[in-house]
Amino acid sequence: MILGVLIALGEMWSPGSYTNVQFTWLHLAPAPGPFPNGLSLVMGTLVDPLSSLMLVVVTVVGFLVMLYSIGYMHHDHGLPRYYAELSLFLASMTGLVLANNLLEFFLFWELVGVCSYFLIGFYYEKPSAASAAKEAFLVTRVGDVLFLAGIFILFSTYSLAGPVGSGGWAANGFVFVQGSTAVPFLATAMGGHTTLLTVAGLLILGGAAGKSAQFPLHVWLPDAMEGPTTVSALIHAATMVAAGVYLLAITSVFIGFTPADQLAIVAIGGFTTFFAATMAVVHPDIKRVIAYSTISQLGYMVLAIGAGFAMVGLYHLFTHAFFKALLFLAAGSVIHAVGTQDLFKMGGLKKHMRVTAAAFAIGGLALAGIPPFAGFWSKDDVLSAVYSQLGSHPLYWPFFLLAFAAVFLTAYYIFRAWFLAFSGETTRDPTLPAAHEGPWVMQVPLVILSGFAVVAGLFVFLPGFQSLLLGGAGVAGIPPTYGTTDLLLSSVSVGLGLGGVGLAWSMWGNGRVYALAETSPVQAVRRLLLNRYYFKVGYDWIGLKGVYTISRAADFFDRFVIDGTIRGLQRMFAFASNRARALQSGFVSDYAAYVVAGLLGLFVLLLIVGPYLLGRLGGG
Amino acid sequence: MTLSSFGAPFLPEIVLLAAVLLIFLLDVLKVRRIELTGGIAVAATLFALGLIVADLGFAPLAFLSSIPSSQIDQLPAVGAAPLYAFTSLGLVFQAIFLLAAFFVCLASTSRPSDERGSPIFYGLLLLATIGMLLVAIASDLIFLLLAIEVTSIASYLLVAYTRKDVRGLEAAMKFFVIGALSTVLSFFGASLLFGAYGTTNLYLIREAGAAVGYPILVLLGYGFLIAGLAFKVTLVPFHAWAVDVYDGAPDDVSAFLAGGTKKIGVFAFFLVFLGPVLVVGTVGQSGYGLFGGSVALGPSFQIALGAIAVLTMTVGNVLALLQKEMKRMLAYSSISQAGYMLIGIAIGSAPALGGATLQVFAHVLMKTGAFLVVGAVAALGVGPLIEDWRGLGLRRPLLGTSFALMLLSLAGVPLTIGFVSKFVLFSAAVQAQGWFIWLAVAGLLNSALSVFYYARVLKVMFFDAPPVPSSPATTGVMGAAGPPVLPVGGLGYGRAATIAVIAAIIVAFGIYPQPVLGAIQAAAYHFVTVGA
Repeated sequence: MILGVLIALGEMWSPGSYTNVQFTWLHLAPAPGPFPNGLSLVMGTLVDPLSSLMLVVVTVVGFLVMLYSIGYMHHDHGLPRYYAELSLFLASMTGLVLANNLLEFFLFWELVGVCSYFLIGFYYEKPSAASAAKEAFLVTRVGDVLFLAGIFILFSTYSLAGPVGSGGWAANGFVFVQGSTAVPFLATAMGGHTTLLTVAGLLILGGAAGKSAQFPLHVWLPDAMEGPTTVSALIHAATMVAAGVYLLAITSVFIGFTPADQLAIVAIGGFTTFFAATMAVVHPDIKRVIAYSTISQLGYMVLAIGAGFAMVGLYHLFTHAFFKALLFLAAGSVIHAVGTQDLFKMGGLKKHMRVTAAAFAIGGLALAGIPPFAGFWSKDDVLSAVYSQLGSHPLYWPFFLLAFAAVFLTAYYIFRAWFLAFSGETTRDPTLPAAHEGPWVMQVPLVILSGFAVVAGLFVFLPGFQSLLLGGAGVAGIPPTYGTTDLLLSSVSVGLGLGGVGLAWSMWGNGRVYALAETSPVQAVRRLLLNRYYFKVGYDWIGLKGVYTISRAADFFDRFVIDGTIRGLQRMFAFASNRARALQSGFVSDYAAYVVAGLLGLFVLLLIVGPYLLGRLGGG
Repeated sequence: MTLSSFGAPFLPEIVLLAAVLLIFLLDVLKVRRIELTGGIAVAATLFALGLIVADLGFAPLAFLSSIPSSQIDQLPAVGAAPLYAFTSLGLVFQAIFLLAAFFVCLASTSRPSDERGSPIFYGLLLLATIGMLLVAIASDLIFLLLAIEVTSIASYLLVAYTRKDVRGLEAAMKFFVIGALSTVLSFFGASLLFGAYGTTNLYLIREAGAAVGYPILVLLGYGFLIAGLAFKVTLVPFHAWAVDVYDGAPDDVSAFLAGGTKKIGVFAFFLVFLGPVLVVGTVGQSGYGLFGGSVALGPSFQIALGAIAVLTMTVGNVLALLQKEMKRMLAYSSISQAGYMLIGIAIGSAPALGGATLQVFAHVLMKTGAFLVVGAVAALGVGPLIEDWRGLGLRRPLLGTSFALMLLSLAGVPLTIGFVSKFVLFSAAVQAQGWFIWLAVAGLLNSALSVFYYARVLKVMFFDAPPVPSSPATTGVMGAAGPPVLPVGGLGYGRAATIAVIAAIIVAFGIYPQPVLGAIQAAAYHFVTVGA
């Protein structure tokens, strides 16, 4: 962790510097044929503004979550497994951040995916946890397959079309080109292949959507809350889900997206932002509210990257990692204290858990985008970044408005959660145990993260941090304007945020319970939201009817055609093996006869078969 | 100041010869303890290996370099007829040979220390190694064939060195008869070439071929040469001796024969068909065949070699499928692996040559290691049948894991060197395009087929219940050496260390192959482009 921070500090002092250490892992010599440049696979580490920013997030949050786990997890069994998996996750995540080529990136990408699977299913004896783990794995896998296909397209397109012996991007095995000159690389190197590039970009977007739980692959993240809350904080809020955003960022910086890709990214990001926020509005489970909020916030990052501001997206990622980890850990503290995740069974916890209540409030304010908390600065940067690009495509408008509306919803739902949990009188459910704060190892991370949630946004006023952001953003070729956001835009968004908080207070504050009349037409909307727009039902239907039918057919094919063939082959080879064994008589004279026969056969090959075949083939 | 300033290009061979003489001298003086003779052999092979690696340009050992780099990969003056020439690929092969010899020497130190045959064993083994080293520097047919003969005669004796073991004697007899036959064929081929061109020097043969063309005598000569060399490489149908010999020979000798000596045939193929001596044309072009120019006989040879490669792979694998004895299964697997190497020779491009060389390197590790494990397991008192190995992986986890790694590598599973070598070889076939792609397809199908019998051994070792303990030591280690006197459960340090090191190398280069792959590819590139 300390190393990660040091690297980031070093990066601040020498902005825009690139350190690339690599070695050739496997190299095939150049030869005529499909790979005129030879095939070279490289492993290496690349430290640049993007990765150093991510490195700080991963190591700091990782460290704090580890510390917090000591208190949170102490009564669980299977702790060695827990810490081993968490460490493997952190190692993979660091590797992913530092990877200097897409292939290596993909390896670590899969590793964090499998760690996520392990950790969601940590309570594997619980059926819901086991199935949530499976769901997360399968849904992200859909994205992974798309991502891999994207890599293949990029690779083959470049290998075939790239200049021979140029030692360029794919010829060196997907290595991200150092420095800022070669950007966006493919856009310049492969002008004639825009369609393929667009397809590759869309496939990579698919991979990112799977990992970062963007619409329509968002379904797994709320269910992933079956894992321990620490895992939710680290993996499903701060780091792994951000890997998809990070992928989009590095792709946009090092490879470049076509305008069509950008529109798709903006559309998915903008829509997800609003779409996920609506679901968070009604949910009674404290962790799932935060999970929907994560999806929504990831949408902001994707939106910014789609608009061409990779570093703005990463900046929001940076601040979000701290305040969202804070929210999760605070929620974990609550769950630790009262033993339930149902918001309606809590209430009045403020009195017993002052640290947690304050931490959750700070996280909420940061999330709602109230100045001077961290979320304000980065969210405003995202909005103003997209605002500045509205002229480039008319279709950006609706998604910009959706993202703007989501600001209001965000403030509302997070404070609804706060009021339900912490304000009002005593515990509503008297059967729950008396609330108490966790041990110091749980409180310290809360305090530290609260500090970050307050000041992380202000980092942008540090010259070093700013140049770090600028160094990375300069690569993308668009000069950003950090800290000097559009005043009108900011005030509107702050107004919306405050409005959301106010609405939440008026409906849920001080122990009020807002009861919607059963007959109200709004009930239909509520049910729709509670059922997550029936997405899972739809996916289940597709899964059952569609995939099951296909797999029945595949099963039939497998059983009768493939197995049959294999069995037939096996019988054939067994027969041949038995027969051929008879030749191994043990008599030397037989062996000598084989040699002579072989010699004669050789001459037949050389003198008759070979020339005949060559004649047929046109002289070889 | 390096050793090369003393002008000692044959230093590795001299070192080994000195070790042989010392061992035999001690034998006369009745000093026969295996720790001593084995130690001498291990030291000699290790030192010679250091010399070769230094000559290959390994910087930390540069002070050991004995051949000036100006003498490596050079064409001789026009009209000159040198007997030997140093090529970097030849040096790579020398290193591989010495590695095999080193492993076998080290592992054999774990045999009973009062065994009387140890001076003979080590002396013959080092003599065979000298012959192998000479093969790798030959540039004249007679020199080449004589060097092969040095190795062959030493290895006939090695198979029977225990003198009392009937199976070993029978195997040696078969080995010798078939070996003599193939020697006759090779020399007959060489004499036909001499009849055609008036020379046996490989450089001069190329020049003569370019000048006077390729009469039918040449074709016949090369046909006989292929038949003779195919015996060494155990290509089907010249392979039948190999199974009986590997099966009947003492385990350590089998390890050396299957892992080491058969590879000299591979390099002899390189020399005769592809080397600096005969290559015409540029790398990767269709002209790399033997007889570029108007007569389309080069491609004809490629077809013949390709057909033998497919036949060898398939027959080896099919016969291995139903084997019940571990050693015979490994012997057939060894035959099929030779087919993979021949793919590289049939293609003949630099990447293919590199792939074949890497396959040789991988096979030395895998097969030497596998036979050494067989020896170790026999020393533990386990029977020769595959089903006798039930539960061994659980009873001896380290030994079982090492063997599992070797088998997985033989099957070509990723993260082992066997995967890398097959990957490089098959991608070279795909790169060469044309009908060579079918060689890659045949290789892939055969790899899939081979998984059957390797996986069966893994299943037996790790998933079957161990047999009820019977009376120990029913099978003697090292043939007539008698029942093992090793401590119960002990393999001996030398053997255990060798097996562990081999398994470690298999995985290490499987994960990060580039150091060895890069060196081999560079050497292969020089081999086919020098003089082009």
